[in-house]
Amino acid sequence: MTEDKIKNLLQQADKAAGRIAPVEVNVSAIRRRAGRKNMIMMVAPLASAAVIMLALSILSMMFRTTEPTMEHRKIALLETQIKQLQARTDAALSLIQEVLDQERRQSRLNELQAQLASIPDPLEEVRKQVDKTAFFLVYQADRLYRELNQTDSAVENYNRVIELFPENRWAKVARQRLTEIENRKI
Amino acid sequence: MAEKIDDELLVEQFRRGDETAFERIVKQYSADVAVLANRLLGWPSDIEDVTQDIFLAAFVGLKKFRCECSLKSWLFTITINKCRTNRYKRWLRLRRFSQEIYKVSLSSACEEKYMDTDEFKHVRRAVAALPPRYREPVVLRYIQEIGTDEISRILGISKNTLNVRLSRARKRLREDLAELIEL
Repeated sequence: MTEDKIKNLLQQADKAAGRIAPVEVNVSAIRRRAGRKNMIMMVAPLASAAVIMLALSILSMMFRTTEPTMEHRKIALLETQIKQLQARTDAALSLIQEVLDQERRQSRLNELQAQLASIPDPLEEVRKQVDKTAFFLVYQADRLYRELNQTDSAVENYNRVIELFPENRWAKVARQRLTEIENRKI
Repeated sequence: MAEKIDDELLVEQFRRGDETAFERIVKQYSADVAVLANRLLGWPSDIEDVTQDIFLAAFVGLKKFRCECSLKSWLFTITINKCRTNRYKRWLRLRRFSQEIYKVSLSSACEEKYMDTDEFKHVRRAVAALPPRYREPVVLRYIQEIGTDEISRILGISKNTLNVRLSRARKRLREDLAELIEL
């Protein structure tokens, strides 16, 4: 009900406003405006591209020709500082490398010294061998003299020990044995 | 149906470069378009520029028209969009000079209240004061008497949304025009 009332009211109000004067639509003007619009649509991107290119070229020329500004100077100073820092860093790195090499050489040297220390003295070895041989000869002579009663052979062995190893303690023993044998004969 | 075939013929002729086709379209629909624009803009009577803009937009876009709806509906859609733009531009202009406009509108409004003996003027002002989302369905449904299917197509909204908007618009109008409706 209300909807119909509103509808009637609105239609009456619209009628009361009266008829509008016939509108003259100028088709040729529309065609002209549409043509202009089309042209703008086509030309605008080209024009804006040209303007951008021009602005870019002007900017690049400005950058090429201008005097060094404060910023440029700052940049140059910073670059110098960076180069100096780089040189200092390189020097420090080479020093560290040198120290490390030295440490490595030292540790190798210690290692070699330890190895050398572990190797037995050859002179001592020879002395030990000499002592052993002299002992063996005395021992053999003792056996010949005391167990087998071959006094001549025993004397020969004792004499060999004295001849070969005169400074050895077993040469002293051999001399005592020879003196003993001499005393017995008498 | 015959109208739609005529529309398709006209559009096809326009696409093939027949210059008279657009003139025929203008002749056929300019009155309807102007009436709708007048109603949507609040009955200002001076709608020649808007109509010209509407047909310029139609001229530019006619080659892309796919005849999925009638040419009249398509022109009405353009009309609605152009009226929205027009109202927005007018609002921007008013806002720019808001202080002066405020003074002028205040005094003229007071004066109008005294002099407004025409109740229909009050109705038209109530319709014009509605927000676009309510005013457009009201004008199309109750004044233009277009079916809801076509309105939803013209406005690009669903039927449910349209019904909701119409209902809310009626509520507002009932509030604004309570005295007139009860008479």
